Amino acid sequence: MNINEILNNQFLLVFVSGIFTALAASFLGAFIVVKKMALVGDVLSHVALPGIGLALLFNVDPIYGAVIFLLFAAFGTWFIEKKTKLSADAIIGTFFTATLALGVLLVPDQELFESMFGNIFIIKPYDAIAVIIASIIIFALTLAIARRLTLSIAAPDLAKSIGAKPDIFYLAFLLLFAMSIALGIKLIGSVLMGALTILPAISARNLSWSLKSFLGLSVILGVLITGLGILLANALNFPPGPTIIIFGVVFFIISLLFKKA
Amino acid sequence: MKETMPILEVKNLSVSFDKQEVLKDVSFSVDEGDVLAIIGPNGAGKSVLFRALLGLIPFGGEIKWRENAQIGYVPQKLFEKAELPLTVKEFFILKSRNLFFRDRWIIESISHELKSVGLNQEILGQQLANLSRGQFQRVLIAWAILKHPSTLLFDEPTAGIDLAGEDTVYNLLRRLRDERGMTILIISHDLNIVYRYADKVLCLNKEMLCFGAPQDALTGEQIGRLYGEGVFNHHEH
Repeated sequence: MNINEILNNQFLLVFVSGIFTALAASFLGAFIVVKKMALVGDVLSHVALPGIGLALLFNVDPIYGAVIFLLFAAFGTWFIEKKTKLSADAIIGTFFTATLALGVLLVPDQELFESMFGNIFIIKPYDAIAVIIASIIIFALTLAIARRLTLSIAAPDLAKSIGAKPDIFYLAFLLLFAMSIALGIKLIGSVLMGALTILPAISARNLSWSLKSFLGLSVILGVLITGLGILLANALNFPPGPTIIIFGVVFFIISLLFKKA
Repeated sequence: MKETMPILEVKNLSVSFDKQEVLKDVSFSVDEGDVLAIIGPNGAGKSVLFRALLGLIPFGGEIKWRENAQIGYVPQKLFEKAELPLTVKEFFILKSRNLFFRDRWIIESISHELKSVGLNQEILGQQLANLSRGQFQRVLIAWAILKHPSTLLFDEPTAGIDLAGEDTVYNLLRRLRDERGMTILIISHDLNIVYRYADKVLCLNKEMLCFGAPQDALTGEQIGRLYGEGVFNHHEH
């Protein structure tokens, strides 16, 4: 197979970009679970919708609208949490569920369904390459801040006591997370992207015995359920998002059997 | 008494949360190598004082640490351990800025600190969540003293450590003071500890009620004012 054939093979494009999306998302998902903000991640992903709607109105690639809205929402969450001491779920629950309503009003029906649940057929070679590069960057940045981030999320006082700035790491984390949601919108959809970040991490949590194994397993499971989900979707002609999530839930149920106490 | 510049000087410190004053007009100083015990009833603002000293919360007044004072902090409790599977070794490594490699230098210092808090190396592989309270507290102390800070802030847990264990933790703190010249601030709930281990005591109940050497500052009357009449558990030594 030469490079052109690879680039024109729709299934391969979906498969590879799906794997890389999962790599970044499931790694970040581990920190979402540590921060106990699983639902936040889920709702935050809806913020993409009005962005997609506006982008479609102005005839730009919806992904840009999604990215801008997600980054803005991530920053907004951080800022309001810092200023008001409200918890992240209170903020997101209050402000961002409205964006779902707005999204439904703004996004035309067909695109709305695709934005929420993904579409296997709209990945172009250019998209796939962008997704792969962005995923690698997000993954690498997350890895680079992993230690400080863990301490900042888990024990902010201790982090401050050694001169780290937990606020900044938390903001960086929220922005990276928003980016990873944006990455998955075309393929997996905004609604299911939230689930893809959480499912591998909570399954990994059940199986892990250390931070390293937790992060590692989360990434492995994320890649595994995404790969299997896309294969099954391809075979049965389903949209990939839902099959990925169903695999995620199956793995979670299996992981429950191994959970210690 | 040696004439040195105090390592910490606090003047008219006050802290408010939502317009409620939690600390009011607290002033004291700590000399290098001193053990200062901070006592007071629940909700007296003891932990708040520590958080202000560490710069974790906004405050009014003045907190002056000696230049380059390195502070180690032993919090009363850590995080909800359930969501974070962390081995003891990983917990230490979180203190390092590095990525997941280049850890060798830190491993050597970790072993050194573990020895000085009376734990052996095997604990490194265990999960933080599976430690006994006593072990966990020692791990927290070892974590705090990892880079040999000049001052240690020790927020004692309210309950849970049996007396034998408690005794050795205080012996350990005193040894750190003696061997390393460390300055130690302890939040304590046990007056016996104050008499046995502290050079100075600070009584706190939102405002400062006493400050000085325990035998001078901690009169029966003071203790009564601090905790309410008749509830103190003060045994003479």
